Amino acid sequence: MSPTPMITIIDDDESVRVATESLVRSLGFSARTFASAEDFLNSPLLGETACVITDVQMPGMSGVELQSQLRARGDETPLIFITAFPEERIRRQVHAAGAVGFLAKPFDGHAMIECIDRALGERGVAMAGA
Amino acid sequence: MYASRDVILNDKPTNRWLMPVIAALLAAAIFIIDTFSSLDMAIAVLYVVVVLLSANYSDRRGLLAIAGLCVGLTILSFLVMHAGNYDLSAVMRGLVSIAAITVTTLLCLENQTATQSLRGQADLLDLTHDAIFVRDIADTVLYWSDGAERLYGWPREEAVGRPAASLLKTVFPAPLADIRGELFRTGRWEGELVHTRKDGSKVTVMSRWSLQRDEKGRPLAAMETNSDITERKQAENALNQTRAELAHVTRVTTMGELTASIAHEVNQPLAAVVTNGEACLRWLGRAEPDIGEARASVERMIANGRRASDVIARLRALARRDEPLQAPVDVNEVIDEVLPLIERERATHGVALDVAPGERLPVVLGDRVQLQQVVLNLALNAVQAMAAVPDGSRRLQIATRIDGQEDRGCVLIEVRDTGPGVDAESLPKLFNAFYSTKKDGMGMGLSISRSIIEAHGGRIAAAPGEDGGMLFTVALPNPGKDASGDSLPEERRP
Repeated sequence: MSPTPMITIIDDDESVRVATESLVRSLGFSARTFASAEDFLNSPLLGETACVITDVQMPGMSGVELQSQLRARGDETPLIFITAFPEERIRRQVHAAGAVGFLAKPFDGHAMIECIDRALGERGVAMAGA
Repeated sequence: MYASRDVILNDKPTNRWLMPVIAALLAAAIFIIDTFSSLDMAIAVLYVVVVLLSANYSDRRGLLAIAGLCVGLTILSFLVMHAGNYDLSAVMRGLVSIAAITVTTLLCLENQTATQSLRGQADLLDLTHDAIFVRDIADTVLYWSDGAERLYGWPREEAVGRPAASLLKTVFPAPLADIRGELFRTGRWEGELVHTRKDGSKVTVMSRWSLQRDEKGRPLAAMETNSDITERKQAENALNQTRAELAHVTRVTTMGELTASIAHEVNQPLAAVVTNGEACLRWLGRAEPDIGEARASVERMIANGRRASDVIARLRALARRDEPLQAPVDVNEVIDEVLPLIERERATHGVALDVAPGERLPVVLGDRVQLQQVVLNLALNAVQAMAAVPDGSRRLQIATRIDGQEDRGCVLIEVRDTGPGVDAESLPKLFNAFYSTKKDGMGMGLSISRSIIEAHGGRIAAAPGEDGGMLFTVALPNPGKDASGDSLPEERRP
């Protein structure tokens, strides 16, 4: 683990991606972004992320599919879902699969911080700042 | 029918009994003088006056009978006067008289034939339902048909002699000088006029003008033939109104289909605004505030706020129910404005987008929102049509170009997809109302698109694409094509 936990942000919408990245960095984490789940899965840094914040609906692989891919590989990286279409069915599905959070866009900053906190706590990583 | 002859031939009904009496008295007088006076001259030549008078009220046969009678009276007088004493000069006088009567009769018969054919033509003009009138160069009405009486309510005697345009309060579709210019140049003019009847009501007419010239080619008079198209115009207006309403309903329905995409399109920048705001506060709230990061966050907030309001402005324009406009429209801009609305739909269907805007396209004349509706409909259809196609081979191509010669050809919008296409049987039905290849389609989109494009003077066609899928082509008329040099469409750009 690096001293400042690395948080991965996946969203096909650039404006949301960049804003979320800025928020995460303002909290003192380092962040990196991907425009698609496929890009993230193909990334060599896949195993180094402390937490993944991912959009649900994306062209190509969805956030839900990403979750099952990771779990199938035995990767237990905590996942926080953000979505413009909060559907109860999907919320239940991702929670059942162990998601840390399921936030509707536009999400509340505090709610996001709580989720990140929980995610890093699960992994035993202390908050680096807030 | 007498009335029309009055105007053309000035033949008063009172002559019908007066003239024969005068002619008969005259004939009797000539006979008496010819027979019983001893004047040494060809009195019988005066019978030509009887023939001339009779020509006005007799038909062909009657005139021949009268002429025959005059010849007979001449011979009778001769026989009475010169019984057995045939001197040469007397015989010559008699023959001259008979020749004069004969020649006059023949001339009258010829004249009568011409007059009858004129009368026949005038009667024919009165048979038509159209309002016909003839006016001289000063616009004074010379002739006014039965149809004109019926259409406008002014009887012939009130209309003749009055200036036509002020009598009918004519509303011309173009400056009168231009219309007269065309009439004098080409000898004819055709267009729609609004006239006011005697009772004050308005009537829209399809008007055809023909110019009559004298033998030196100088304009003499114009004949105006007007047919009443008021009802047709009203029906046309009602149809246009209905079409515009239907277009609006279909547009709003399409937007309903896109609600999720549109909500996303607005929500996404709003989410970014909120998140940037949160980030900004945290950058400022640090022990050592990071002004650079905070500023960048605020700048992104502004940009995202603008993006959201742009989407809303476009939606409002699409949802508005306006009368269709005729304004210069850049089709490339239309496409740029529509694409964000289907962006989410396209992305979730995994469709690749390929836009090839044509360069130096002339602007077209039309209604921007309605044209957006057509492009929106074609693009959305294309995206939805490719749902069954395997991932990676879904491609939406939108291109604009000029068909054929620059500055002359139509402006084309081409929308291609790589979907399963449409079988040959369904192809001709695609544009029919309530025909849909989609399971839950209403079948209005393409039908409305066609009526919109046709109302723009263009056409829309569907054909199988070269590499499978479908190709929809919209062709819009190029207004620069017919315009004169001083009104190039580019100059009308705002």
